[in-house]
Amino acid sequence: MKRSQFLASLLALPAAILLPGCEKTDPAAPASSGKKLTVAFMPKSKGNSYFIACEKGAREAAQELGVELLFDGPTNTDPAKQNEIVENWITLGVDVMAVACENREGISGALKKAQDKGIKVVTYDSDTTPDARAFFVNQATPQGIAEALMDEAARLCAEEGEFAIITATLTAANMNEWRKHIESRLAAKYPKMKLVDTKPCDDQKDKAQAEATNLMSAYPALKCIMAICSPAVPGAAEAIKQAGKTGAVKLTGLGLPSENRAYLKEGVTQSVILWRVADLGYLAIQAAVASGNATLKPGAKTFKAGRLGELEIEETSIILGKPFIFNKENVDQFDF
Amino acid sequence: MASLSPSLKKNVLRHESLLLLVLLLEFAFLCLYARNFGTPDNLSNVVRHSAEIGLLALAMMPVILTGGIDLSVGSLMGLCAVLFGVLTHDYHLATLPAAAVTLAAGLFAGGFNAFLITALRLPPLIVTLGTYSLFRGLAEAITQGTKTYRAFDPAFLSLGETRWFGVPLQAWILTAAAASFYLLVHRSTFGRSFRAIGFSPEGARYAGLSVQSRTALPYLLTGLVAALAALLFTARLRQARADAGTGYELCAITAVVLGGTSIFGGVGTLPGTLAGIAAIAVLTNGIGRVPAVFKAGIGGELASLLTGALLLVALAGPELARVLSTRSAKISPSPKTL
Amino acid sequence: MKRYFRELSVAAALVLLLLLLALFAPHFYELQPLLSRLTAQIPTLVLTLGIALVMLTRQIDISVGSQFGLCAVLAGLVSAGGHGLPVSLAAALGAGAFMGALNGCLVAWMRLPSIVVTLATMVTWAEVLRLFQQGKFVNLAPGVQWFGLSQLGGQLTLLGVGGALVALAAYLLKNTSGGRHVYAVGSDAEAARLSGINPSAVTFGVFVLMGTLAGLAAVLNLVQSPQVDPKCGTGLELKAIAAAVVGGVAVNGGRGSLWGALAGLLLLATINPALTFLHVEAYWEKAIQGLVILLAVIADGIRSRRNLN
Repeated sequence: MKRSQFLASLLALPAAILLPGCEKTDPAAPASSGKKLTVAFMPKSKGNSYFIACEKGAREAAQELGVELLFDGPTNTDPAKQNEIVENWITLGVDVMAVACENREGISGALKKAQDKGIKVVTYDSDTTPDARAFFVNQATPQGIAEALMDEAARLCAEEGEFAIITATLTAANMNEWRKHIESRLAAKYPKMKLVDTKPCDDQKDKAQAEATNLMSAYPALKCIMAICSPAVPGAAEAIKQAGKTGAVKLTGLGLPSENRAYLKEGVTQSVILWRVADLGYLAIQAAVASGNATLKPGAKTFKAGRLGELEIEETSIILGKPFIFNKENVDQFDF
Repeated sequence: MASLSPSLKKNVLRHESLLLLVLLLEFAFLCLYARNFGTPDNLSNVVRHSAEIGLLALAMMPVILTGGIDLSVGSLMGLCAVLFGVLTHDYHLATLPAAAVTLAAGLFAGGFNAFLITALRLPPLIVTLGTYSLFRGLAEAITQGTKTYRAFDPAFLSLGETRWFGVPLQAWILTAAAASFYLLVHRSTFGRSFRAIGFSPEGARYAGLSVQSRTALPYLLTGLVAALAALLFTARLRQARADAGTGYELCAITAVVLGGTSIFGGVGTLPGTLAGIAAIAVLTNGIGRVPAVFKAGIGGELASLLTGALLLVALAGPELARVLSTRSAKISPSPKTL
Repeated sequence: MKRYFRELSVAAALVLLLLLLALFAPHFYELQPLLSRLTAQIPTLVLTLGIALVMLTRQIDISVGSQFGLCAVLAGLVSAGGHGLPVSLAAALGAGAFMGALNGCLVAWMRLPSIVVTLATMVTWAEVLRLFQQGKFVNLAPGVQWFGLSQLGGQLTLLGVGGALVALAAYLLKNTSGGRHVYAVGSDAEAARLSGINPSAVTFGVFVLMGTLAGLAAVLNLVQSPQVDPKCGTGLELKAIAAAVVGGVAVNGGRGSLWGALAGLLLLATINPALTFLHVEAYWEKAIQGLVILLAVIADGIRSRRNLN
């Protein structure tokens, strides 16, 4: 009985693949008809407030341009997930994809495969290798972000003293890129400053708080904490506040204004660096659709992006604008 | 059902048969409603993307059959991937010897689990919880968390895309692994004792089986297979980093249990495990292609939710049937324990 | 003495680590950061108590982290909606008890294996939370933090609550029939049943209690900061299980004490800061945690083998 069962299951599988006469294309799908463009939009991870804000902007642009928007991304920390989603989109038959790459080189193979099938690829937020996409919608280069962070930290502690970094995880590729540029900026410009430690917070506020508490008492001379993932900024702020070191230990980092408003006003957090996140999603879809329609071609010098107006293109990067530095005075002007 | 003979009825109602039915329904549904699900290109995606988890599940099945568990397989994948990177990059080994050393290391790590579990008779759940942290921790320590190895031999990297007779390499490897494990579990006397051990270790001992040495083999094999999965994963992702295989242990266990193997051991078949792997792989790939789902942008979440639900239904179904059929029984049995 | 060997050896390891810190990193003992560190562990402590109970009945619950996150966000939303802390607490406890009851039903009455049931509910609650909250922080009403007391007052209250809970639970477990039933069911459910205990009821009760404790833990975490991070429960189940295991609670039931679990938690929770204070690089953290767990079980294994001989 067991044998027949095994044979049955062996036979049934390929039969299941072939028999129902699986349609190759959904008749309702306009994918190849060229009427309504199908645009896929991927965040680095789902359930992340930064990318939720991006998605809002993306949906706005999709509505405006009348395209079909697919939104999906990794829901866990499996590093292969983005590649798998890209490969699935290829077989799904999307026309354009806009991807925020978790993994610069890792994803390039999958994206090149998409390009080979005639799918237009645009990256946003964090890039892949230039040969695997047409345009990169750039809020700021990794170097630009890192230098803004380092310069801000240096300004806060008058260019001397010890500081520490709190990052998301030790394997997060983009943050390692920033850390590299932070360290080279540090070596080049701020000889009197010293990076004493780098701690991961697993992208959790409470862990960031615990790490900041430890850092402050393990390094009593610590003058500044630089939190380079968004939950780490409020986490570190709460730690500084609880330790009674408001103002004595400065805090800056990358984060959302809404999560840091109270701490900025209390003076626990000195500044938060970020760009208009929803605009980044909006611009990504605008650029994706334009390159899908071939109205945006390689070599263009400027790009007219809906309500954002005419934007500059540097080589193949469409620049959203420089990152903002949010502080006590201007934080109320932003609603994300 | 009355017209069916008892043995036929028993087999029709078997977990594996029901699961196969679910799989077929799933398939039919996705072919009808999911966009471009049934294309050959997409079906080869289904296999390629589930190859590593599938391999781990195949190796996990005998472990669970003996009443054990191995939580460390995902972490071991991370450690093996890093080791392979170190060997090829820092020690400039050629791909083949490096792969051989990596497989040996996987076997060794599996042997470490096996030693603690069988020689020291420690609970597998706790031992592998410890090595779950230890293996991932070593991978992070070796790379200082940050290092990514990328410069692999192009011939090795092309394995991630290779097809033989139009079928991806991963499918061939999975088939070979499934056949080997099938022969081990269902066709060899050594492997048949796994079920006896899982059913009752004391009974197996009285029956003259050397329980400890026989329990060791499945853990050795999970180690070896985790290393193989790490190599495949590295070729597919074109990089080796400490986070390879994160969370794969739970995916593999889910597939095995969904496939009808009792988590307490003693009951289960390998074809069932295969069906469990397929059911999850198909769902994960296909559900995000249903237009209503991708428009709402909830593909990833829905796939996890449905897998969880499927798991509960698969487990509760037979139990419900049993409860309904023995409603009149006076004594309610005790809950099952670990 | 011999009976508490495990608890004592974990406590000894903890004392050793604390001495090491006293010698090489006296800053560890600065009062305010130490208080913050301790209070930050109170929620995990509450979860560990629950997990220890679950493990004593020879079950496991890996959905506690997801339950914790869901309860925390729910309590946060209730609080942000303008209700007072008692209402938030009630909501969290209720939600926790409900989720615990669901696990309990499936395990105790449907006789499904707890590891699989709670694996499924872990995924389900985590995805429900992600779909519902989308990762957004919840800003709490002012006056929720520290129960509306001063920071010091709030922290002392938290420590008091944590200590009282451990003492109460340990007392009840040891000195009441309900407590002894937990051990009895974990040691041998069939024997327990024959001696008149209803194992299903005990198991169900323990899971409900676990869920309720997850709700309580979520609130005890919530009052420590003005915002709730929806990811706050991720990975807590492993922390709690590891603490219980290191503290000597046997995974195959019936053996272990809550004091041991407390010692296990304190040991594991001291290792991470100790690495920072002793200037060990962060990437060693997981390896060392794994090694501690392994050493604890190996010590157990060797001891029980020697006893057998």
